[in-house]
Amino acid sequence: MTTIPSNISGFSVIPVQYNSSTTHYLYARSHASKSGSNTVLPDGRTLFLVNLPPDATERELVLFFKHSGTVEKVIFDFDVKELQNADSDSEDEDEDEQMDDAADEQPRKRRKGERVQAPVVIPLPAPPLRKLRKTGGSAYVIFLDPSSLERALASTSKPRAWLKSPEEPVGLAHYLARYTAARPPLDAVRAFADSSVELYEYELAKKKQKSKYRKGESIVDADGFTLVTRGGAYGKNLGGGVGVASKRFQRSGETSRNRGAKKDKKEKEGFYAFQKAEKQRSGLMELKRKWEEDKVKVEKLKAARRFKPY
Amino acid sequence: MAPTLERKHAGTLKLQKSPQISEDVSDEDQLMEHAEGSEDSGEMSAMEEGEDGEWGGISGSKDTGVVDDSHSGTKPKKPPTGEELRTIKDASDLFKSSSFKLQIDALLPNVRPKSSRTAPLEQFLFALHSFLKDLPSIAPQHPLEAGRKLLKKGVAVPYSLPLPTEDTNWKVAFEAPSDITLVGSWANKVSVKAKDGGKFGVDLAVEMPNSLFQEKDYLNGRFFHKRAFYLATIAAAIQKSKSLDVVVVYESLRGDPRLTKLVLVPTHNSANDFTKLNAKICIIPVLHSESPIPLHRLSPSHSNVRLHTSTEITGDDALAPTHLPTPLYNNALLRTLTPRYQLLAIHELQNECPAFSDALTLVRIWANQRGYSEGTRMCVRGFEGAGPWWWSILALLLNGEERRSGATKANKRKSVGNGLSSYQLFKAALEFLAKHDWEKEPVFVRSANKHRYPPEEYHTSTESVFVDSASLTNLLAGVPLGSLELLRYDALRTLETLNQSSFSGDPFTAVFLKDCRDLNTRFDVIIRVNLVSAKPRSISAHSTIDIGSPVNALLASISSILRQGLGDRSRAVAILHPSSVPRALSQAHPSTPNDIFVGIVHNPQHAFRVVDHGPAVDSDDQPALQAFRELWGDKSELRRFKDGRIMESVVWEVTTADERAHVPAMVVRHLLKHHFNIQDDEVETWQTPFDSLLRLPQTVSREYMALGVSTGFKGALTAFDNLVKAIKALDEELPLALLTVSPISELLRYTSVFSPVPLPSSVAQLLPPNARYLEPIEIVLEFEKSSRWPDDLKAVQTIKLAFFDKIASALMESVPELSARVVIGDGVHDSPIMDKACLEVITPEGWAFAAHIWHDREVNLLDQLIGGKANILPHIVTKTEKKKSAEHYEALEAKEVYMRRFIHAPRHHRAIATLAHHYSAFPGTVRLVKRWLAAHWILHGHFSEELVELICASFFVEGGRTVTADADTEKTIQDLVPASKERGFACVIQFLKEWKWEEGLFVPLYGAEAVPSDKAQASTSKVGAASAWKVTTELDKEGHVWTYQGPDLVVAHRVRALANATWKCLQDVEAGQFNVQSMFIHPTDDYDFVLQLDPVVLPRYLHNVTADADLLAKRGKYANKAQEQDAVLPMPGFDPAKLFSSDLQRVYADTLKIFYDPFGGDKIGAVWDPSLKDARPFRVLGGFSSIPVKKDDEKAKDKGMVTINQSAVIMEIERLGTGIVKKITVHN
Repeated sequence: MTTIPSNISGFSVIPVQYNSSTTHYLYARSHASKSGSNTVLPDGRTLFLVNLPPDATERELVLFFKHSGTVEKVIFDFDVKELQNADSDSEDEDEDEQMDDAADEQPRKRRKGERVQAPVVIPLPAPPLRKLRKTGGSAYVIFLDPSSLERALASTSKPRAWLKSPEEPVGLAHYLARYTAARPPLDAVRAFADSSVELYEYELAKKKQKSKYRKGESIVDADGFTLVTRGGAYGKNLGGGVGVASKRFQRSGETSRNRGAKKDKKEKEGFYAFQKAEKQRSGLMELKRKWEEDKVKVEKLKAARRFKPY
Repeated sequence: MAPTLERKHAGTLKLQKSPQISEDVSDEDQLMEHAEGSEDSGEMSAMEEGEDGEWGGISGSKDTGVVDDSHSGTKPKKPPTGEELRTIKDASDLFKSSSFKLQIDALLPNVRPKSSRTAPLEQFLFALHSFLKDLPSIAPQHPLEAGRKLLKKGVAVPYSLPLPTEDTNWKVAFEAPSDITLVGSWANKVSVKAKDGGKFGVDLAVEMPNSLFQEKDYLNGRFFHKRAFYLATIAAAIQKSKSLDVVVVYESLRGDPRLTKLVLVPTHNSANDFTKLNAKICIIPVLHSESPIPLHRLSPSHSNVRLHTSTEITGDDALAPTHLPTPLYNNALLRTLTPRYQLLAIHELQNECPAFSDALTLVRIWANQRGYSEGTRMCVRGFEGAGPWWWSILALLLNGEERRSGATKANKRKSVGNGLSSYQLFKAALEFLAKHDWEKEPVFVRSANKHRYPPEEYHTSTESVFVDSASLTNLLAGVPLGSLELLRYDALRTLETLNQSSFSGDPFTAVFLKDCRDLNTRFDVIIRVNLVSAKPRSISAHSTIDIGSPVNALLASISSILRQGLGDRSRAVAILHPSSVPRALSQAHPSTPNDIFVGIVHNPQHAFRVVDHGPAVDSDDQPALQAFRELWGDKSELRRFKDGRIMESVVWEVTTADERAHVPAMVVRHLLKHHFNIQDDEVETWQTPFDSLLRLPQTVSREYMALGVSTGFKGALTAFDNLVKAIKALDEELPLALLTVSPISELLRYTSVFSPVPLPSSVAQLLPPNARYLEPIEIVLEFEKSSRWPDDLKAVQTIKLAFFDKIASALMESVPELSARVVIGDGVHDSPIMDKACLEVITPEGWAFAAHIWHDREVNLLDQLIGGKANILPHIVTKTEKKKSAEHYEALEAKEVYMRRFIHAPRHHRAIATLAHHYSAFPGTVRLVKRWLAAHWILHGHFSEELVELICASFFVEGGRTVTADADTEKTIQDLVPASKERGFACVIQFLKEWKWEEGLFVPLYGAEAVPSDKAQASTSKVGAASAWKVTTELDKEGHVWTYQGPDLVVAHRVRALANATWKCLQDVEAGQFNVQSMFIHPTDDYDFVLQLDPVVLPRYLHNVTADADLLAKRGKYANKAQEQDAVLPMPGFDPAKLFSSDLQRVYADTLKIFYDPFGGDKIGAVWDPSLKDARPFRVLGGFSSIPVKKDDEKAKDKGMVTINQSAVIMEIERLGTGIVKKITVHN
């Protein structure tokens, strides 16, 4: 194999040996967050990896970087956002730019309160399963120690073998495991469902307490306007006593179904002679236009030699 | 075009001796000639290039219409002038539409001879005329002696049956023709190009002098012998002649030696080379109208062949009355009188009705495209040289029908007006063909002077009767009724196409431009019969002589017996064979076809009847009883029926439902064997191999049979009903009452490739692991509305889980041996808001169901997520365009699944199930097409099942025909749709081959039932838009509900290519080397690499197209090994190969395209995205496994280039497929 550049667009190229003749390439760079401190992906000891094997697991990455140091955590790219949300209730609000989009107002609020008395969801049993990601994905590897990061980035010369983690099955066994995992025992499902519903109800109650929307009270915004909205499907009008526009009106600005149709324009049409003449003329023009159009169409078909039946 | 030809023919007119023709060159025509002339000059250059240069580009295509179209193409700024207006109005009123008229105008010149090329022909005709006039006379001599003399010159005399013998006492002679006339379509300028590059026929009527004949010549074929000798003499002379320099051959119309004519074909580079015109000259000897042969002796009821004089005949015909009428013989004789009459009659019609020529041309194009003419492919029997018949139909329409004496009914056909347009006349002709009952009603075209023979005369003939205005010949003599029935069927179909308020496509193409001769799409069953060993049981010598040749007699007999035997089972039984070919002069008699095809169009109401009832045994109608026994032979038995009747009847043994579809073919086989001694191996149908594609392998089905498990769609439906009952019974225990259960599985709508089977543990134990696949049947549960559903999507999904748990435990309690599990997800999607959980139920009988819960609020919640605030408060205009959040996309995806699963699928299911009830061939068609697509690795991965169903449905609901649950079944049966799955399959393949998918396809599947609501409209999203195909229904205007999986452009092209290849394969039917299985074998060479899977671990291996029976055999030599895995837990839907391939497709979405046969395929094919092979700049989220490329020059430092790391990807795939993949073959 020809020599492979060790560096590409600021990424170090880390060769990974699959077998004697096949080499996979990882691209690595130390992670630098744009907006200062970041507890999820700490600067200085986070390695940003690109082009992961699709079936890579956390354990396999840990194994692969074992020689450069202890890995604290591996975060796969697509999981970052969820983690972000989960972590956000600890303290930090300032985050990386890309994560901002994901963070939505409500779940955070919801979760804030739940720390104390919230019912705990009994999770469904989750046996170790490989997750197949789209190929060429990325991940953050967070080392325990900043020095490991440098070592990891430096050690690109010799390909190292990719060790398979024995815990998560691959291939046929993987599919079998996945199949079984999708069918947990009924009591586990029940426990999960019951506890989740409990949590939901708890949160709902909590939200109601916190909400500024109360029955009988109207919401006045900064400009002094009262916001009048319709409730949910089964809800009541908030604020009470105020007529609320229908959904239909909201959408189209029309109040009732057939009011528009009733408006009769008859009186004006064909009243004057010139209107009639105009109408007739435009009718004829239309006819001719269509005729010409058809002609052009047929000409085109002719050009494509379509009219030779055999 | 006509007048132009006329002018140039001025010289030939003397030859024609028909003065009327020269008169009609009016001023108007001269005007037109100008236009024509310019057209021709424009065309010349283009035409020189190729022989098919019929049309020379836009410049030459001046519209032949009346419009002055100098400003065509420019935008109309002025209102149209009166004349223009008239044309436009005419076009849309008199024709189907203005574009239809323009298309007709464009079509007509392409099928007519080029006037610019007729000059050499005229020269040649002159030469021929003088040559024939100067032929020396030959003194009378004995016919056999004369024949021997000619044979020395290499010319055999085509004497017909009964052959002359040594002791005949009359003589044959030759004298130069008394008159030579150009007749037929060429003379009238109504020639239409023949199919398959056939030549224009220029008919030359050569009148034999009266002095050659005697009064008694009508007897015993004497006239035909004289005619044959006359023809042979001319042939010998022309062959010898240096000056003419043409190839002379014999050609016998319909293989009848009595109708032999001489065909002159120019040789290349000779002086008289009119090859470019692509014409041939046919010399037809005719009689003078005042010949010595008395016409009254030639009426259909006269007997003109005395059998005892013939020598060839053996057997018991001596006993037969010798004075049987010989209608066909007489008719053949009369034909020698008609050419002149016809010439004049056509000319008169042309004068009377301006659109006659165009209409005739349209009719003939239509007929040619459907095989009612000569051609190299299979042609419908009886329509060779049927030129007079086509124009006579128009003559009938224009002149009306002769008043029948006695028939006072008002049903006399009225004549249509002369002012009709060509299209209207064409359509009127089709309507006549579609409505007329040929078997019962003879037709006599009205003629100015009375018909020569009274209608009663024709009753003796067994065939249909159509006597033209010249009132001499029956134009339908020798045309089997079955062929006419096929003609009627075709006319009906075309009318339907023309009448449909066309949603998609232009009827013009289907009517005139498409070759509809293909057997597979035309007939429900095609049967190839080898005639070599045929020994007819009951063809009398008399009928052989009447018909003219043994083969024709055989075919006529086959046709009538099959028609009789099939009865109301079929709408048309037609015999097809390639048309007769010219033969060398040395061959006296036409060669006969070895193979013929019998095509049957089913009448689905009766076609599959198992018992044929004959007359009751005690009936008085002994002859009928006798005839029935005669027809069926020993197959006919006396049977006593439940209602006490004792009847002669025929029972067809049918063991499976598949075999029921074979009954018509069984009937044909039996009749051929019984009456013609044609053994079964000489008769070939292709139904069984098609059936076997949809069947489980023997080794597996045997186990089911042995245990008597109820299988099939019926079994599945019963199991479904039972499950619904069981769940309904739980009402007490469930918080909400069950409203409806909607099936959404193909297993419950008759369209799954394999008929569904359960997997009870008793069977599972007997089967090897690679045959233990259990397909879960998907259903949707809908509970009553409740306000207690949460207003949050995640919570909704959790509540569903709780519901499932409740149902599962309650069901297991109430139904013994039933097992139910909650499936929490599919392992791929992990969106918390998507409906992905289901309840898996395995009934005691071994059926598996997967139930989903439909909660109708979900869609509103999803809409809120998708639309954000704007959806709720649209009047509050937000100025900043918000970035779409990840949640937005998640919700879009979830909504997609929701809409498809809960809104579209149940509706689709109902419509398809209804269709399947109405058309018995529909489910079979779908199953075959699915099998085909799957076998070519396209189904599932790139195609949804529903899409296939929709496409197939389009053949059954086309033409705005709607089929709803309450539609009349009786009525739908009469629809002109395929009535066998093989035909349906061929139709779909043909469609896929030709479909321009940009145009989309509209399938009016839902009919009147559909009320397109705003909601349905709004529901469509962009997910399927990437697909190349668009299949719309009333409820899906976008046409992408079912194309969510594709096919994308690559796959769409692939499908087209595959359809083309398969179509070619289907065409091999005609060549007789058709192998059904070969259409379902997928070539793997095109793939970049192929993964060979281990068939032992594939639970669906039993469905493989070419499953290896050994691998499916009961496992192991060790009896005790079976004990180990005694408790076989069925795993519904577990198919690692499918999971693996869809994982691969997902993981390598931008790298590879994965192809795989979901039905037990043991190979997965993959194709690299070709663009990845080039180096491209490195990107962080490149989406493919890359390898850095060494820079060419160090200076270019800007971007690192990468390319696809193929070997690593393949290694990864191998790793992912551990235990499934056996071997990876990389093609280069």
